[in-house]
Amino acid sequence: MGASLPPKEANLFKLIVKSYETKQYKKGLKAADAILKKFPSHGETLSMKGLTLNCMDRKTEAYELVRLGVKNDIKSHVCWHVYGLLYRSDREYREAIKCYRNALRIDPDNLEILRDLSLLQAQMRDLSGFVETRQQLLTLKPNHRMNWIGFAVSQHLNANASKAVEILEAFEGTLEDDYPPENELCEHTEMIMYKVSLLEESGAFGKALEELHKKEPKIVDKLSYKEQEAYLLWKLGRPAEASKLYRVLLSMNPDNYRYYEGLQKCLGLYSESGQYSSDRIEKLNALYQSLSEQYTRSSAVKRIPLDFLQDERFKEAVAKYIKPLLTKGVPSLFSDLCSLYDHPRKPDIMEQLVVEMEHSIRTTGSYPGSDVKEPPSTLLWTLFFLAQHYDKRGQYDVALGKIDEAIAHTPTVIDLYSVKSRIMKHAGDLTAAAALADEARCMDLADRYINSECVKRMLQADQVTSAEKTAVLFTKEGDQLNSLHDMQCMWYDLASGDSYFRQGDLGRALKRFLAVEKHYSDISEDQFDFHSYCLRKMTLRSYVGMLKFEDRLHSFPYFHKAAIRAIRCYLKLHDTPKSTAEEDEMSKLAPAQKKKMKKQKKAEARAKKEAETKIEESTACGVSKSGKRNVKPVDPDPHGEKLIQVEDPMAEASKYLRLLQKHSPNSLETHLLSFEVNMRKEKFLLAFQAVKQLLKLDAENPDSHRSLVKFFLKTGSTSSPTTEAEKLRCSVLEAERPSISQLQNKSLVEANKEFLGRHEDSLVHRAAYAEMLCLLDPSKKTEAIKLIEDSTNKVVQQTNGALGVAREWKLKDCIAVHKLLETVFLDSEAASRWKSRCAEYFPFSTHFEGKRSSVMPDSVYNSSLKSNENGDTPNHPMGQTELNDGQLEAFKSLTVST
Amino acid sequence: MGTGREASVSLDGVRDKNMMQLKKLNTVLFPVRYNDKYYADAISSGEFTKLAYYSDICVGAIACRLETKGGTMRVYIMTLGVLAPYRGIGIGSKLLNHVLDMCTKQNVSEIYLHVQTNNEDAIKFYKKFGFDITDTIPDYYINIEPRDCYVVTKSFAQI
Repeated sequence: MGASLPPKEANLFKLIVKSYETKQYKKGLKAADAILKKFPSHGETLSMKGLTLNCMDRKTEAYELVRLGVKNDIKSHVCWHVYGLLYRSDREYREAIKCYRNALRIDPDNLEILRDLSLLQAQMRDLSGFVETRQQLLTLKPNHRMNWIGFAVSQHLNANASKAVEILEAFEGTLEDDYPPENELCEHTEMIMYKVSLLEESGAFGKALEELHKKEPKIVDKLSYKEQEAYLLWKLGRPAEASKLYRVLLSMNPDNYRYYEGLQKCLGLYSESGQYSSDRIEKLNALYQSLSEQYTRSSAVKRIPLDFLQDERFKEAVAKYIKPLLTKGVPSLFSDLCSLYDHPRKPDIMEQLVVEMEHSIRTTGSYPGSDVKEPPSTLLWTLFFLAQHYDKRGQYDVALGKIDEAIAHTPTVIDLYSVKSRIMKHAGDLTAAAALADEARCMDLADRYINSECVKRMLQADQVTSAEKTAVLFTKEGDQLNSLHDMQCMWYDLASGDSYFRQGDLGRALKRFLAVEKHYSDISEDQFDFHSYCLRKMTLRSYVGMLKFEDRLHSFPYFHKAAIRAIRCYLKLHDTPKSTAEEDEMSKLAPAQKKKMKKQKKAEARAKKEAETKIEESTACGVSKSGKRNVKPVDPDPHGEKLIQVEDPMAEASKYLRLLQKHSPNSLETHLLSFEVNMRKEKFLLAFQAVKQLLKLDAENPDSHRSLVKFFLKTGSTSSPTTEAEKLRCSVLEAERPSISQLQNKSLVEANKEFLGRHEDSLVHRAAYAEMLCLLDPSKKTEAIKLIEDSTNKVVQQTNGALGVAREWKLKDCIAVHKLLETVFLDSEAASRWKSRCAEYFPFSTHFEGKRSSVMPDSVYNSSLKSNENGDTPNHPMGQTELNDGQLEAFKSLTVST
Repeated sequence: MGTGREASVSLDGVRDKNMMQLKKLNTVLFPVRYNDKYYADAISSGEFTKLAYYSDICVGAIACRLETKGGTMRVYIMTLGVLAPYRGIGIGSKLLNHVLDMCTKQNVSEIYLHVQTNNEDAIKFYKKFGFDITDTIPDYYINIEPRDCYVVTKSFAQI
């Protein structure tokens, strides 16, 4: 490096490199300038200066200098390497790889560049390239452990586990017998375990077990050893030995569900679906009976049987499970049992049981059939459980009765208010839910969880300002909402984006949804450092696990949600082009107001400009002062105004759609959106593909049906094909149509009718039928509306004469029907009839203005007369603040027993 | 299976972060809404104001105000109360005993409170701890009957 320079400058050049590595950028810059004074066109110096400037946030200059450097000295591997590093720092990995390859062409055996290249190849999953580079590194430096391991891992990732085993074995051949030294025992264990997992992956279970046994003395992770041994024995068809090991593992940790699962598998008592024959249930029951005698302190051993036991046996077991937990006061009991509610009979059994307990505790102070006095809190927790039970069953009025009683019993338990808030949310009163969540929050200002829950409820009630104020209570001081972004707080982004979307602020909404997408690419980015770190630290099993996790990162729920919502924003943008929307708004206003609006807009624009110049100034001076990264880049578009100016919203939507199609192909919503987007783009064959996917996933879903009808109506109505492409499209559709079973020898009208025939009792299906009926023949609008209004909301059959009634219809479906009547059928009378009917079914719903909802003027949650309970206003009813006459009331029944 | 007596009762101080617990208790225990001064006094009294927790549920509280009179310290019990379902298991006594202990430790000269004259349970309760009726204030209460109250006091021998 720096070879072409005279000795003094060559030393200076070394200083630049050293300063760069030690992050003393100013010093490096000085040295570079000193060289450039004498040799202004020295390529490598120019490159290094550029790289240094890059670290001082002077990107444009950096790129100029580095490019100039390469131009002046195109034969220097240093220049190309630097160019690659620059691209890498900007996450332009493909470009970076190209640069590295150029550098290697000049200096093929440069270890440093090879290593850097291999990291990029791992990051980009260029697996064959990764193998090649790793092999080269090993050939160049075979005495390095890391190079052996790296080559093995690259083979493994490239789907060649047995090759990886061979490499590890060759490496082991180079080791002395007394390897490893004391301080490398853990690393060596990891390598052995990795090798065993490779053997297992390639199906060589026998060899894997053999290897495990052979290396036993050198494995320090005894727990992993046992787990692996038990698993391999089972895989090898030696269940007797395996089950013995699982019992040993259970004695070490009787709350590990995987050990129970392993034991069940060994005993032939395991089913993926959780369904068992009565004979097997008998055996399972006996197994868990004996295990529970052994592990009395385990909760898993008591909980698992509730999943497979049925009817009387279940009743007995669940009673035994619930009682001590209600006595102890375990707030999470309901969540623990929540999964049992998917079963058809178990919820009824639990309801009956707990209602009996409640009654017995009230009358005798003990559980049924017991004479042990329960502590006073048992009644509270029983009511708490019942409230959640009825909430789950959709009987919100009963649920509220129970929770109110619990609050009256012990008003200081925070969970009660949280659950009441949740019930209100489910019942359709988001304002009340937010108020209750805030009440809960105030009861423990140091609890971040209830603070976050409150923020979420506020956002759901579209109280964005209070939500932000509340959220900031727990962020780092000074940084406010940015710190939520830095913490990748995705639930917040989603909830706040949803709220903006509901309020019609698409810019801010998009901003939030795209932020989630950004978080995901950051997470993907974050793996970069681990490519070198994990090989060095030998944490191979977790490294490979991490890479597999990153590969399916975009199938995770938060990304899925954010992408769906972003696409919906773009659809809305497409449907209401910006200019017309604004004009509409303007035309509705009176001229005087128009003037005012214009003035306001001008003022806003001015303020914005001022703010922008300020930001520019601050960044400029920030850099010149110290040259360090002390100024955070300021978001030039905090409200997403630029985002909604996008030229082609459908092109943007397609970007996210592709990710969804790749990573969430089994979600109905993915294909529904694909249908919507492609219909708007008039890409009919792609839309048809979406329809076919929808039918495959769930042909009876109302939205699948809607898409089917809409698609064939649209493509059937377009005039006869003129261009070649259109002709081709028509012939494809014609050939495909018979393959759609719903449409075989049937018109769309008939298909629609049959759809109704299959789902006559379901509100959502009737609504879909009616909507399509009207779409196919607008003259049938009255008939369509009548069909919706003739739907009946049936009472759900209940086995034991429980409190109140549960009905079939869900609130969100009823709201959807209401919107359909309002915005699609454009029949305000029918909509208002629907509204008053639903107000009866959903008295807490604010949407339907139910009698018990917070929109009613007499509601305690009505914002216009917000009650100031426990308020700070000195409002002493006795007029004399010094009094403490409270004692009289409290002591009237206070009997002291000592 | 635990009975009431086995459940543990613990005491905790009042801070601004959990003050709402005390407020919640007061709204159900007493017919009076207390003002800011009450809560400020309670917090500044430190160890003399405590919440009682019955297996992690806040069920009662004692709130005092510290007064200095002629160089000696007096304690005034502003409120003492326990939620109805949790009475009769010694929580009130535990709260009061704690404050009495603090009084001896911190050299308090006397501790006193006001009780409505007809509240016999309360008077009996405090007498058990060595309190005595030392005075009667007529017309102390404005809109509840009887309007008179006793001053109930316990003095500590000065060491």
